[in-house]
Amino acid sequence: MRPDLLLRLVCALACGASLAACATTPVQPWERAHLARWDMRWDPDSVQTAMKQHAYFSKEGSNGTIGAAGGGCGCN
Amino acid sequence: MLAAVMLFAAGAAPAVGVGERAPDFRLPQLGKDAPLGLADLHGKVVFVDFWASWCSPCREAMPQYEKLRASLPGDAFAILAVNVDETRADAEKFLAAHPVGYAIVLDPAGEVPKAYGLIGMPTSYLIDRNGVVRWRGQGFKSADIDTLRQEIDKLAKEPAHAS
Repeated sequence: MRPDLLLRLVCALACGASLAACATTPVQPWERAHLARWDMRWDPDSVQTAMKQHAYFSKEGSNGTIGAAGGGCGCN
Repeated sequence: MLAAVMLFAAGAAPAVGVGERAPDFRLPQLGKDAPLGLADLHGKVVFVDFWASWCSPCREAMPQYEKLRASLPGDAFAILAVNVDETRADAEKFLAAHPVGYAIVLDPAGEVPKAYGLIGMPTSYLIDRNGVVRWRGQGFKSADIDTLRQEIDKLAKEPAHAS
């Protein structure tokens, strides 16, 4: 095989192999101890969340901006 | 293609399903010196439960499993609970508050759930007297206990072959 072809082949294989570095290792179900922690929750304290939302709605005058159903008329 | 192969090479084993032989294991036992494995319980109907102290449905299920165990004869049925907590103290703390009478084995490295191909926590398996998976449960529902009781009664009547 010609040296320049061999070099191209090696480069192509190296580029292909380097794509494996983009792979992630998924967290297995039995490895979720840290993800299950109280302070890792999206909404760790529902009372505090309700208070924050109330303050936000009051300041913005936009009741229902966080996930409420409705058409955006502000009347529900 | 090489990258694609490398991408998936690290995946867990396929999930063990009903009708398949349960992969054998032997692990250190909590509170006992001798390790315990599936082979030690050959001839009994065995309920294998994968649990962790951080897993809410596992915590809900364990007192129910304890009631089930206490209501069935120990010579025909056994529960083998595989704890996957990284720290032994976490398991001990939970069990101090919610004691159970069945065997707990420790697998902090997660080798056994990997071999069983678990896709969620908790997952439990009912294994017949010959080591074959006959029922698999993912998550926990109170209704599972009635189903399990019926299955255990049925499986306990089946003959066990020599190991």
